[in-house]
Amino acid sequence: MANRAQHGWWRSAAPSHPTTVFLLLWLLGSLLLAFVLIPLLVLAGTPSLSGLIDAARMPDVRDSILLSLEAACLSAILTALFGVPLAYVLARTRFVGRGIISAIVDLPLAVPHTVAGIALLMVFGRQGILGEPLQALAGLKFWGTLAGVVVAMMFVSAPYTVNAARVGFEGVDLQLEKIARTLGLGPWRTFWKITLPLARRGIFTGMMLTFARSISEFGAVVILVYYPKTAPVEIYELFLRVNLQQAVAAAVLLLAVSLGLFVLLRFVAHNPDLRESR
Amino acid sequence: MTNIAIEGLSLSLGTFALDNVEVALDGGQILVVLGPNGSGKSVLLETIAGFHRPDAGRILIRGIDVTRLPPERRRVAFVVQNFGLFPHLTVEQNVRLALGPHAKDKRSGVLSPLAGDAAALLSYFGVSHLAARTPGRLSPGEKQRVALARALAANPDLFLFDEPFSALDSQTREQLRDDLLSLLRRICLPAIFVTHDHTDALTLADRVLVLRHGKTVQVGTADDVYRRPSDAFVARFSGVENILTGRTGAAQGNRLPVAVGDIVLQAVKPSSPPGAEVQVCIRAEEVRLHDARSAQDSEWRENRFTASVANIRRMGAVVRVELEGPCRLACCLLTPQLQEMRLERGSSVEVSIAAEALHLIPA
Repeated sequence: MANRAQHGWWRSAAPSHPTTVFLLLWLLGSLLLAFVLIPLLVLAGTPSLSGLIDAARMPDVRDSILLSLEAACLSAILTALFGVPLAYVLARTRFVGRGIISAIVDLPLAVPHTVAGIALLMVFGRQGILGEPLQALAGLKFWGTLAGVVVAMMFVSAPYTVNAARVGFEGVDLQLEKIARTLGLGPWRTFWKITLPLARRGIFTGMMLTFARSISEFGAVVILVYYPKTAPVEIYELFLRVNLQQAVAAAVLLLAVSLGLFVLLRFVAHNPDLRESR
Repeated sequence: MTNIAIEGLSLSLGTFALDNVEVALDGGQILVVLGPNGSGKSVLLETIAGFHRPDAGRILIRGIDVTRLPPERRRVAFVVQNFGLFPHLTVEQNVRLALGPHAKDKRSGVLSPLAGDAAALLSYFGVSHLAARTPGRLSPGEKQRVALARALAANPDLFLFDEPFSALDSQTREQLRDDLLSLLRRICLPAIFVTHDHTDALTLADRVLVLRHGKTVQVGTADDVYRRPSDAFVARFSGVENILTGRTGAAQGNRLPVAVGDIVLQAVKPSSPPGAEVQVCIRAEEVRLHDARSAQDSEWRENRFTASVANIRRMGAVVRVELEGPCRLACCLLTPQLQEMRLERGSSVEVSIAAEALHLIPA
């Protein structure tokens, strides 16, 4: 009887527990799943197809979605550029204050995003301690520009890349790096040929999370930049100034685009050809 | 000519330390470093490979002092538990990655036609058919062969093995050990093999170095370590079951009497002063049991006494019999012998031990 459970579509990973326990766990878990899925399904089912097409034809909506994608992409890439080296250091060295450094990495997760936006404004704003000199010296402006959007997105989403890449690096067997060295590879070649490829799933997952978090950012972006409008800002504006109907249509469009990308990236990440086999 | 020389190597590294370790090794020789966990044997290997800088001492490979060279310039091959193949590369890519600047250097013997040629290396080890596979699905035996092919691609002067078999079941272990031994014999490069398994040591070693707390306790042939352990630690570690405390008497001829428990046993005379406290090592298989028929054999008159069976532990092919009598002894029999003798708990049995089987260690 216990065997039947092992052969059917249902497999218990912990055979020590009776099936009734799992039924209870499933009941609780499915409530949470429903709680996540129902609002999204209701939202997706609300606008008519023609409403969606109309929304897609609105230049403001289209531009805002494209801007969101572009800025989130840049945010993910820049975060990886600066975050992956930090992740490697945190994964591979032991030093005094390492705990504090990892706490700083996680800090943006605990800062409310409007607070983050105001803090960023004081630094990157028109009179900010970096914003003013950077504009004077390099002509780099963070208000009303793509650069500002990217900065706001990076601040709130960087922890995901650093943490996931760190887990990725921690999962690389030190013995493999040692073997690479004895086979004649110097420290740099060992990093590029062995460590980085083996940690790439972690790095990629982190970049995906940063990308997704960047797309969804509203609070910090709206305070630091406002214009040009990202998709969440545009949706908020439609909701406030126009009507719920148009806000819903724009929201469904953004949802479709970001979910589509999410599924595509997950597919790429889980493709066995691109994944190391254990 | 000495190929590998380690001179006065000392190092302290957290809880691990090495203290004045000396090794000399010729081409084609296998040195087994035997020690329990925490004895520093892996640290020794990693220091030779170049991952720790010693506090004192030198490491010479083919007469060249490599003590201050980084690992990639030492030309040592490092083989670890599960063989450490790179999981993201195919078998062939694993080997190609190791074809570095030294790959095409001239080599001697069977290795000369293999220089710089990944395909030739794979076929030499009989794993050409696996070239396009990733290591994940290889059997342990295949992994070992690929790891050796890869190691040789870099043209090493010394092989280092860090318990490569420790995650394997005993049957696979035995096969891989045999395979490794015959391959190493053909390749004819010196090798240092670190293990805590004394069977590894007995089967592979030309010489054994026993390490404890980073100090060399004994160096010798596998037979030396097995039969003539230098102290009680080595004796216990190499599986001597009977380590008894005794006191020597005055030597008579080439025999030295040793009082153990309530009996005086005869040992072959060593250079031990009379009245000295010693530890007497007797391997369980050297304790012979006799039934009534063989009791008359004059051959087994030495160290003969009667004991009773206190316990019988069956372990498959062999049986461990614990004896009580003038002294407590464990004895090892083949299972059919036990059946022939009809021994059971409480039976009385004649015991004899050859004088040569007593190994004395000064206490």
